[in-house]
Amino acid sequence: MGMIKKIVKRRWHRWIGRRIPRADMQAFSQKNIFILPTGAGVVFGVLLLIMLITGINYQNSLIYLLTFALGALFVGAMHQTHRNLSGLTLSLVRAGESEAGDDVPFSLRVSAGKDAGLAMILSVEDSRLEGVHVPSGQSLDVVLPVPSAHRGYLRPDRIRIETRFPFGLLKAWSWLRPVSAGIAYPRPVPAPDVLSQVDDGSEAKSEAKVMGQDNADLRPWREGDMSQRVMWKRFARSGQMVVADWEGEQGSPHWLDFSAFPGADTELRLSYLAWLIADRVQQGVRFGLNLPGEVIEPDTGPVHGERCLRALAVWGEKPPREQDALAFGTRKAVDGAPAGGSA
Amino acid sequence: MSRMAGIFRGRTPAGAASTDSIPGAALLWLIGSFGLLLLPQWNRLPWWLIAACVVLAGWRWLAQTGRVRLPGRWLRTGIMLVLTGVYIGTVEGRFTVDTAASFFVLAVGLKWLETRSARDFYVLFFILVYLSAVNFLFKQDIFWALLTFGAIGCLLIGLQILNAPDLPGSLKSGWKRLGLLLVKTLPVVLLLFMFFPRMAPLWSVPLVSGEARSGISDSMRPGDISNLAQSSERAFRVTFGGPAPEYRDRYWRGLILDYLDGETWRQRDAEPFQRPGRVAVDGGVGPLASNQYDVLMEPTDQRWAFSLENSVAASDNVFDAGEDLFRFRRPADSAVRYRLALEPGPVQARQELSPAMRQRYLQLPGEANPQARALASELAGAHAPVQLVNALMTRFREQEYYYTLRPPVMPRDGIDALLFDEKRGFCAHYAGAATFVFRAAGIPSRVVIGYQGGDAGAGDDYLIVRQYDAHAWVEVWLDGRGWVRVDPTAAIAPSRIEFGLREAMEEEGSFLENNLTSPQRYGDFAMLQWASLQMDRINYHWQRWVVGYQGQSQMDLMSRLPGGIGLRELGYITAGLVGFALLVAGLVSALSMRRGTRQDGFRQVVGAWHRLCEQVGVPVRNGETPGALAERMARARPAISETVRIFARTVNSHYYSAPTATQADEDAQRLRRLLKTMKRQLRRGHETESAPRTPQHD
Repeated sequence: MGMIKKIVKRRWHRWIGRRIPRADMQAFSQKNIFILPTGAGVVFGVLLLIMLITGINYQNSLIYLLTFALGALFVGAMHQTHRNLSGLTLSLVRAGESEAGDDVPFSLRVSAGKDAGLAMILSVEDSRLEGVHVPSGQSLDVVLPVPSAHRGYLRPDRIRIETRFPFGLLKAWSWLRPVSAGIAYPRPVPAPDVLSQVDDGSEAKSEAKVMGQDNADLRPWREGDMSQRVMWKRFARSGQMVVADWEGEQGSPHWLDFSAFPGADTELRLSYLAWLIADRVQQGVRFGLNLPGEVIEPDTGPVHGERCLRALAVWGEKPPREQDALAFGTRKAVDGAPAGGSA
Repeated sequence: MSRMAGIFRGRTPAGAASTDSIPGAALLWLIGSFGLLLLPQWNRLPWWLIAACVVLAGWRWLAQTGRVRLPGRWLRTGIMLVLTGVYIGTVEGRFTVDTAASFFVLAVGLKWLETRSARDFYVLFFILVYLSAVNFLFKQDIFWALLTFGAIGCLLIGLQILNAPDLPGSLKSGWKRLGLLLVKTLPVVLLLFMFFPRMAPLWSVPLVSGEARSGISDSMRPGDISNLAQSSERAFRVTFGGPAPEYRDRYWRGLILDYLDGETWRQRDAEPFQRPGRVAVDGGVGPLASNQYDVLMEPTDQRWAFSLENSVAASDNVFDAGEDLFRFRRPADSAVRYRLALEPGPVQARQELSPAMRQRYLQLPGEANPQARALASELAGAHAPVQLVNALMTRFREQEYYYTLRPPVMPRDGIDALLFDEKRGFCAHYAGAATFVFRAAGIPSRVVIGYQGGDAGAGDDYLIVRQYDAHAWVEVWLDGRGWVRVDPTAAIAPSRIEFGLREAMEEEGSFLENNLTSPQRYGDFAMLQWASLQMDRINYHWQRWVVGYQGQSQMDLMSRLPGGIGLRELGYITAGLVGFALLVAGLVSALSMRRGTRQDGFRQVVGAWHRLCEQVGVPVRNGETPGALAERMARARPAISETVRIFARTVNSHYYSAPTATQADEDAQRLRRLLKTMKRQLRRGHETESAPRTPQHD
């Protein structure tokens, strides 16, 4: 039984793969739009049959007329529902980034062709975005949150676009099978005090320390300075924007090191590091990242932080290959996998 | 009390959550449709049921606006039990289509209280669609039919709003979309309607409605028919193949009352029991012969058909029941059409009346009305039967007898009172009294009831016989001549027989005096008459050609088409039609697809360029940029190097800008021109370069 199911599933995936090749952009046409009656549509069909029998039995011409009109309307609605998707282009503009376990925003662009695309639903697994309307010839940018299961690349196998307009009796759907993958950072876990000189990241203390530090030059705020470096407490007191300048620290950069947590599991280490990076960025401290096989030179600022986090996220992970049929890093992919790759 | 207080929503979020999932506008259209669908049933449904439906739907709407909460499970169950109890109380165990339809309405009403999700919305949608089909069982007029189709339209608008609640301008575009869909599918619907084989009923269920039908009944008390005279409802419509008979000869015989029971005339033999079933509504096809006539009768829930004297059945849904009367095989529970033919002479001329029959038509009760009996024996002593009949008619004509819709009450010895004291009565009084006198005088006689008259409809196409044309008259047996019609009313008020009740009652002013809404009452307003007759004509043709389009009409229509078309062929045609319609739909969408790609001229011209590249021996590589391809082409064919570079640049700039539709068109045109130039240059270059190149090729 399971064997047959597997074979059928594989064939199904292969068939879909032929019709809908992996691409960040997909134009929908008769070739790749699927259409079936919804549950309500099936019941509607049964109802029409009952009405036809009623018409036959009571020899009632008007019931015949009503039945035929509704039946023809059903077929017309099939055309209409199909046209909602036909000519439409769905493209993945940007696969976003987020912490593992959170929703990763996928930015999508829906461009309508000759016909308007009305009341469409974009969905990935359990995440849905309803009521997407695109007038004919226009496009619309939407963000679809894709829930991530663990750190690493995140690529849903298929992003589903569906419409049941106008009557909800039929559903037409198709998929975008994206190439680009989003990224889920490791979830930060407060690191033990092995490497950091800062106690518990307590703000008051750290600021006091900053204030007391000799090598911190205090200077007036200039355009371009990061807000994290502004001494906000001082601002509150005196109304002056003063920035702590860490010029003096340049010679002794802090290195965040993968090997600094002996005995910890790989994923846990990465989580510690993620927490530390966030901490450093918040403090505006200059730091570098030392991962086995990858070294990021010390720098400051959120862009640097993101670069480091991205390095953590994909460390040891291979980017999903184009041919991979299955989802990558989504919750369903993890549930379906025989042995979980995540901690 | 506390229960009631609980209905009103406090600050509990549960109430808010329960009604959120259905958009208010969609619900409103659904409720509106329900209201429309109840209208055709207003006089059939018990009043409490209509009231309950209004309250329940209103409750649901108030819950939507947030003013009240929907009832919890216990209250809901309570309401359901109470209403079902009331229903069972009123139905009293009768199970007919009518009571089933009422229960159906009750179920819809109760469903409003648990319409919370889109799923419930669909359930209601399905029930309401079926309710509209049920409506058609009872009301088939064009007005009610249009109303019902309108209600279906409202339902479909509601569905569209449900499926796209936040779409701006959804109402207008919704109607437009629906209208377009209907127009597009109309040809298929009409063809299906014409060609779908009309099969015989699969099983027979009586369509007995509890509605009180107006019309004549099978017994007659003296005041009965004057009640009918206040109704201008249609009884039936008649189309003649030849000229219609004179007004005074339009006696539509319905049934014979031959037994006087006190004051009441009845049928001696009750109508035989009839197992329930549907009447065959389909009578007679093809053009009418000059002696034939078609009757389209409104439902009466009775088996009798109305016919002129000396008729024979021409359609097989009526049969001759003896005494020149016609009957259906089942009660006429819906409008029914039948066809009869007039014979030149009496159909069942009998020269003899058997003693048993003679006794039957001489029956009289007890000792009542001594004066009338005395008159009878006096007349019998002086005259032979024919002269006796004439003598009584002369008495009616010459003495001061009045034909009136306001007869006095004559409680005891009514016939004596009528003949000797009051001398005022309606047709039923005079017919009963005359029969009484004839019988007392030893002449076999009987009361016949039916209709007399009928006014021309619009365009003189047909006659309309209305309830106020109901009439009672007498038939007497004269040896050697058989049954002869004798109408006392003709003697007392000739204008009734010549021109109808309106003329007869002109002096009294009592024509339809209690019926303020009838257009016939206002005969002086020509416009009103005209409009009413035009409406009737539309309805007549609707009934005749749409509602009455059944098996025989279909076969008749098909027989006029070339080739023998039977039920089986119709089945094939229907299947073919559906297949053909689907095929056309598929072709249309495929063509529009093709057109869509053709309109994308840009892609097409690039494709043409790629083909040109292949032709000149520069195969297009996968993933190659236009620039790279152009460079390779320029190297292969220096003659076109300039043009092909410009071409590639244009393609590139098109790719990297986000052009509008018109810009894209311009780009495509420019590219097309460039491609043409390229081909021209190639040809010219080929001519000039042909000499050095030829050896390489050979």
